Amino acid sequence: MKIKVKVIGPFIYQAGFSEKELELERRITAGQLLSLLNLLEGRPKIMTRNGKAIAPKEELEDGDRIAICPLYSGG
Amino acid sequence: MKGWTGHLLRINLSTGSVKKESFSEEFARTWIGGRGFALKILWDELKPGIDALGPENKLVVALGPIAGIPAPNTGKTVVAAKSPLTGGYGDGNLGTRVTVELRKAGYDGLIIEGQARSPVYLNIVDDRVEILPADEIWGKGTYETNDWLYKKYGKSVGVLTIGQGGENKVLYAVIRSLEGRAGGRPGIGAVMGSKNLKAIVVKGSNEIPMADPPGMKKLGAEDLRKVGEIDKKTGWSLQGTTGVLSWCNEVAALPVRNMRKTSHPDAWKIDGERLNNARIATYGCPNCTMRCGIAIHDHEGRESELDYENVGMLGSNLEIFDLPQLASLNYLCDDYGLDTISAGGVLGFYADAIDHGVIEGNFKFGDAERAKELLRMTAHREGVGNFLAEGSRRMAQKIGRDSMDYAIQVKGLECSAYNCKFIPGMALAFATSPIGAHHKESWVIMFEITQTSRESYGPEKAQKVVELQRIRGGIFEFIVACRFPWIELGWDLQHYADYFNKITGLNWTLDDLFKVGDRIYALMKLFWLREFPDWDRARDYPPKVWFDPSNADKEGPIAGQVLEWDKYEKLLDSFYEIRGWDKRGIPTRKTALGLGLAKEAAEVERFAKLE
Repeated sequence: MKIKVKVIGPFIYQAGFSEKELELERRITAGQLLSLLNLLEGRPKIMTRNGKAIAPKEELEDGDRIAICPLYSGG
Repeated sequence: MKGWTGHLLRINLSTGSVKKESFSEEFARTWIGGRGFALKILWDELKPGIDALGPENKLVVALGPIAGIPAPNTGKTVVAAKSPLTGGYGDGNLGTRVTVELRKAGYDGLIIEGQARSPVYLNIVDDRVEILPADEIWGKGTYETNDWLYKKYGKSVGVLTIGQGGENKVLYAVIRSLEGRAGGRPGIGAVMGSKNLKAIVVKGSNEIPMADPPGMKKLGAEDLRKVGEIDKKTGWSLQGTTGVLSWCNEVAALPVRNMRKTSHPDAWKIDGERLNNARIATYGCPNCTMRCGIAIHDHEGRESELDYENVGMLGSNLEIFDLPQLASLNYLCDDYGLDTISAGGVLGFYADAIDHGVIEGNFKFGDAERAKELLRMTAHREGVGNFLAEGSRRMAQKIGRDSMDYAIQVKGLECSAYNCKFIPGMALAFATSPIGAHHKESWVIMFEITQTSRESYGPEKAQKVVELQRIRGGIFEFIVACRFPWIELGWDLQHYADYFNKITGLNWTLDDLFKVGDRIYALMKLFWLREFPDWDRARDYPPKVWFDPSNADKEGPIAGQVLEWDKYEKLLDSFYEIRGWDKRGIPTRKTALGLGLAKEAAEVERFAKLE
């Protein structure tokens, strides 16, 4: 299945990209995606699926757009 | 009394008198500093109903006990007055060398009264205070003014200035400091301009008083190093606050087209990654090791320093997705001393009103060149600029024809760069912000979208808004420090209570500090009530357009959804209940007395009843 990943803020320098399409051989959870992208280390991650909150244990679906963002307190 | 200088400097520009005044330990412990000091002084000394731009208004510059000491992010100063934009209590904070220098000069604040007969600036060097002619800098932008003052006094002084916006009393003119940008969104720069005061220059040579100087200096230096290391490790400063733009675009919260839309396919062109790639310099406030000001070349080749609010309001909100062009708009706002958030809100409203055919004019979304011209005209109150200088609420009152519905403001202050057409808790945060819509009080949006149900109007959201107000609009505004290490780097809030105790010699808990925050929030509301005795809860409503089903997104995560009035009313009730306020949104007598505001309650009851 294919998903799109959008990485936000300083995490893009950790992940090595800011946006790309990923082809996954099997279904994985949101938490496993962080591991796959070497994003487990560091500050807490806020994740959304198609603009809505997603918990680390939830499975990803084909066509999902996943955003990974650090904690902010505003501009 | 340890931890405070114990002195305020009162300067009357009408008479030229200068007085160094002492304040009591009780005053210090009740109001702590910053917003607390400013509010209490303005409450005690201003008569209700005065003209905010007249000589009766007072400009207060206020510092807190941890302001200026070498510890994480303590370079902030609060500026406050009765707001000419909202008619209520107004304040803001800005990072500036003034924070350090004013405390070293022996003051925890300035009270500036009256009105000079001709333009002046202040030069404060410890106990020596000069009121000097400002003819050579009046009419100049903040950059040129700052350079002129640096040439005269050297670069180690602290400087606050206004630009042409403040001089011409644009109702959303701010006070500027080149090191730390701008503060005083509700027109505090216009109040400074109304006093014919162009700039304040400060230099101090004393030690900032602390109960345990060696202990605090050691702790502060260690913590500054630690915060700097966390920043370096996490890379937060690489994009600073500007990563927020991409997140808002993902979750349908971006201001686009006067907040008609919540995302845009071109948003990436002005995001944090592009900004970091274009970076030519980085700026920060004194005592900061996580500097957030990213400077780039603007369209005209000038250096312009940006953060998220600037990019959101002058970029996406105006549908200007050209980074150098929006940097030009930001540069002009900074030079003229205009609030970038309100400027973006006002221009967005103007384009929207023209678009709706309710007013004739020459401005379209996306037209950066015309936006530059309009900013110049606004700062000088020329032609249509005189209309734009009044802010979106007054513009809508003049235009009529339902235009108030899409003036994106609360209490007259334009909303910051978060589109809340379907974010109930953040809409509540804007609506109950005590100076008008501002994100600095309670940025609940990320909690709301990722840790609760976005659809919920439950009391947990009101609770979170209050919790954040106690920390952000409370502690950080009255001890006076920047909040960024706390959330962005996970720097525990307890550190700030530790600094407070080490400096003052007190042994206060965070709960003790929260109570001060509640006292300040209650008195801010009483300030509004004294100005507007017919107060009703409608003044705590978000912009109407966020409730309009015809304004709902057609696609995306919140397609077809907008705020709902009956549910919002219940959320507002929850907020009032948690705060101990009545259905009008006014502290009850019991709440006021419980917070030690008996005298203030009696004063306000001369104008309106408390329940």
